[in-house]
Amino acid sequence: MSESTTPGKKGNLTGSARKLKDNAADWHNLILKWERLNDEGSTIATKIVNLGLNKKSNMESDVLMEGGSLAAGDHSKNLKQSNQELEEECVKLQDVVDKMANILSKMEKMVSDERGICELEAFQYGEKGRAEPLFHTWPTHQFAEVSSKLYESYKQELALKKTILQELAHTSNADLSMVYLSSWLYQPYIDDSGKLLLESLLLETGHRPL
Amino acid sequence: MTNTEGVKVLPADAADTHTQRCRMGPALMSRLGLRLGSPVLIRVLQGACVCTAWPRRDLADGFLQISTQCSTPGLDTLINPHIKPLKCPKLTSVSVKVFVRNPKHTSESVHELLEGLYVHEGHLVNLGVDTEIRFVLVETVNSGSQKAGLVTARTRVDVVAIQSVKHMERRKVSGSTLGGVEDVCASLKEMITFPLRYPAVLRTLGLSCPRGLLLIGPPGVGKTLLVRHVAQDIGAALVTVNGPDVTGSRPGESEENLRRVFDQARAEAEEGPCVLLIDEIDSLCPRRTESSGAPENRLVAQLLTLMDAIGSREGFVIIGATNQPDALDPALRRPGRFDREVIIGVPSLLQRRSILTSVCREMPLSPDVDLNAVAEMTCGFVGADLSALSREAALQAMRHAQAGASEPVSMQHFMRALRHVRPSCLRSSIGATDFKRISWEEIGGLEDVKLKLKQSIEWPMRFPEALVRMGVPRPRGVLLYGPPGCAKTSLVKAAASSSHCTFFSISAAQLFSPYVGDSEKTLAQLFAQARACAPSIVFLDEIDSMVGSRADSALSHSVQSQVLSVLLTELDGVGVRAVERRSEGGRVAQVEGGEQEDTRTRQMELQEVCNKDVLIVAATNRADVLDSALLRPGRLDQMIYVPPPDREARLAVLHVCTARVPLHPDVCLQDLADLTELFSGADLENLCKEAALLALREEGLGVSCVRHEFFMKALRILSPSLSPEQLQQNFHSCLY
Amino acid sequence: MSSSVVSSLHQELKQSFEVLRANRAVWERALADCEPLLSAIGNIAVQLQALRHVQLANTPLHSFPGLHERLHYKLSLAVDSALGKLAENMDALQRARDAIGRQVSAVFQFYERNTHTLDIAACVSRSAVCPSVSDMLEWLQDSERHYRLQLVQRRTLLQTLTPSDLVLMETAPGRWASLHTSAGEERVTDALCQVSFFMETE
Repeated sequence: MSESTTPGKKGNLTGSARKLKDNAADWHNLILKWERLNDEGSTIATKIVNLGLNKKSNMESDVLMEGGSLAAGDHSKNLKQSNQELEEECVKLQDVVDKMANILSKMEKMVSDERGICELEAFQYGEKGRAEPLFHTWPTHQFAEVSSKLYESYKQELALKKTILQELAHTSNADLSMVYLSSWLYQPYIDDSGKLLLESLLLETGHRPL
Repeated sequence: MTNTEGVKVLPADAADTHTQRCRMGPALMSRLGLRLGSPVLIRVLQGACVCTAWPRRDLADGFLQISTQCSTPGLDTLINPHIKPLKCPKLTSVSVKVFVRNPKHTSESVHELLEGLYVHEGHLVNLGVDTEIRFVLVETVNSGSQKAGLVTARTRVDVVAIQSVKHMERRKVSGSTLGGVEDVCASLKEMITFPLRYPAVLRTLGLSCPRGLLLIGPPGVGKTLLVRHVAQDIGAALVTVNGPDVTGSRPGESEENLRRVFDQARAEAEEGPCVLLIDEIDSLCPRRTESSGAPENRLVAQLLTLMDAIGSREGFVIIGATNQPDALDPALRRPGRFDREVIIGVPSLLQRRSILTSVCREMPLSPDVDLNAVAEMTCGFVGADLSALSREAALQAMRHAQAGASEPVSMQHFMRALRHVRPSCLRSSIGATDFKRISWEEIGGLEDVKLKLKQSIEWPMRFPEALVRMGVPRPRGVLLYGPPGCAKTSLVKAAASSSHCTFFSISAAQLFSPYVGDSEKTLAQLFAQARACAPSIVFLDEIDSMVGSRADSALSHSVQSQVLSVLLTELDGVGVRAVERRSEGGRVAQVEGGEQEDTRTRQMELQEVCNKDVLIVAATNRADVLDSALLRPGRLDQMIYVPPPDREARLAVLHVCTARVPLHPDVCLQDLADLTELFSGADLENLCKEAALLALREEGLGVSCVRHEFFMKALRILSPSLSPEQLQQNFHSCLY
Repeated sequence: MSSSVVSSLHQELKQSFEVLRANRAVWERALADCEPLLSAIGNIAVQLQALRHVQLANTPLHSFPGLHERLHYKLSLAVDSALGKLAENMDALQRARDAIGRQVSAVFQFYERNTHTLDIAACVSRSAVCPSVSDMLEWLQDSERHYRLQLVQRRTLLQTLTPSDLVLMETAPGRWASLHTSAGEERVTDALCQVSFFMETE
């Protein structure tokens, strides 16, 4: 079973190397998809915050206009409409988060696959691992580590987004809403090192030319 | 000489304001040999500016529009411009001082802002764009002998200093001169500028310069103005605190406000000298009372803390101003806080003259105005009163002037204004009286009494040098006594009118009050005011009813004896209270002018030195009941008996009384004088009045003159108010 | 005066207005690119402000470790990148201004070299199709000055922006927009309009 291959020889890869290379491409694609979903979600979240603020100001003006029954009726109709709208947007955002969760589960699967590959190697070659790297320089366990790091950051991010999803429509504090929105948009747990890891992963597996 | 004769100066177009362009007609440009955009130096009355010559859009000659973008500081009116072509080399370097809005943000873009401009040494460039840098003061230009040049991309621009725009605006304002407070002004200036000028010396001496100063003086003497003036003069920032602005309703708000003001002042002090003026400090920091929770107490404590925290920050001075130093918390008046106390008193004669000169400086005065005389007449006036006076005089002049014509302010206007403006220290005071001025001639007879009065009242006031020369001390008090109705009051009025001094008059009715201690207080206050307005006369009419005699046992513990003791103390008390101190005008005022002016000044100085006292004039018709302590030398030492008029006097009185009555030729005043034995002056006046009324009654309202018979009839109705016993009594006391 | 000098001066002027027109387009494009960047900076400033005001420990976000620092870092990064892009645009503006400035000073130098043959009367004479030399020089000077001052003001504004002063950053888009002086722009447009016939004549 000759597994030592040189990158660039496409279609020649088999077994672990094949799997790792596919995973790297998957990482790339999943993250792109995540970013798209993030942008989409950010737009929805902004809408929700704006609706919430409108609702609040409407309610305040309602208090002011207690006397006019006609106006009040108008407002309650408005309120109903905006409530409905708000609900629709929340459902949309839920959808986005669900999709992100889906992506995360795929990532998790990749991580466990790569761990499996590592274990297999340890079984085959003992504690020291294989003599030559699968691609250029990385030992096999490094793939697992990179994936796991990436996975951890996205996992934390998804947890943050879930919290935001729950709280967003219910907060009346404008500053806090703003913090929710910017946390959604700027994804504080996905840092630059993550991007670097992904890029080096792609380099190592030959998706990017050296 | 200008080369723009017949050219009308118009304001610059809005579009041209910050382009440094001077628009002129093409003909003028060719005449001066200018090309498009030639640099020119335009000299005007107040200064100069550098422009570039451009033809007007409409090519019309005869107009000039000047952009003052680069001009001498403070240039605003453009009169008589003279255009001089400039030879402007390109500058290799220029050093500038920039004025920015916020000194925290300094940017390096001065060069780009100045590029393409012609600049001149000492000129201020208004950049006119919305950047941090608003103005640039050109300090030196490096272009050989020329003082002007063009800033190009290759010019090196050195910024030697950065200051805030506020700082510059402060410098620009030229203060109006203050009259009469030169010494206080100098001491203030010294205090603020010493630590700035000689920090090293002070440090070696181990001195920490005083940081606080308390200005004390009655309202209107110009405390606030003085501080403003000094701050302006030395270019210090002035932060003003008004008591009411600071106090807030919320607990702690006042302290917070005070802290904010101090912070502001501290920020200003970072840049340059700063004066923090706390006006009416007595309202802010009253004496702390027993109840420790009072908000004022906390405020005082806060102020003390803040003042102590200043430390030796250079160029930060706190000035408190008050007219009631007694009401201040004593903790404020110790060294380290308000270490210096400067008292500004009511201005003296010389000071008044110098104030008048300064307030009338801008006023066109006609040659008959004698400010010395006005100064003499305005006894008791403070700076604010004098400026009100000059304003009123100017208004009078305006009222008189024909429409359009402007008339110079003449002496007559001042006299009329004097009738409207009263000294503010006399307003709301007890004894101030607005009496009709009486001349000596309006009182008939009594020539020797008049002479005596002149000696003791008018002479010391008007010719002090003669008395000083002869070593005659001036009398402290004058007692006029004599039977009622014999013109005692009128005599005093005449004396007051002729000696130009403040006149206070008080009667028993004004003095006595149902409250314990009130009468004494009123009297003391009256004297305090009289001293503030010295030279002044305090006239106590019917003094016997006010004070009585201590010998009379019935009165021993009454109000009257209390009043008497106050009066005795006031008459020869140990000294003047510190607060009432007057500034010494000892320095010889520098007066430009001839010898005459000099002697006048000397005379005024002398007068000022001699006239610091309050003269007490009392009148009574019962000198016998007065306390003997009052009558001893040094108190009411000059006793003048005003006798009932004798025949000659009665004749004189009759002449005065009938001066306005048309008399029939058969009226013989000599006879009347013979017949009116024991008639007092008042009786005689009444007689004339009665006779005139009788004439009106009996001969109808068309009557043209009073005949002798009416006098005789009136004489029959009236009886003399004096009695021989009364005269006896007075004689007795005269001998006593 | 020689007509050859006038015609060569006219040639210079034509070229100057060409340069002005071309670079005005460059200037406006670069300026348009700045707008969204400025508003992005303003938005981020608002977000930073909100972050500063919110005590995360008291919110549902308390369980996320280091969220405050991470988010702050991300936002600062975003500011930096926007400022970097703005700096590029400022360079473009600078280039446009330099081009205009060079050309204008060249035409003024040409005029000054030939003042002895150009008297004032010749400089101020204008016709229906041809503005006077004086007018055109003035317009060019005005335009150059306008772009120079605009550049200084805009650059100064950007220099004041630091993440430490959020208020300045928040108000930056408004202040940036207020720097646009319609009067100055109009003068350039007017000048270009008025020389349009002159430009077409040969």
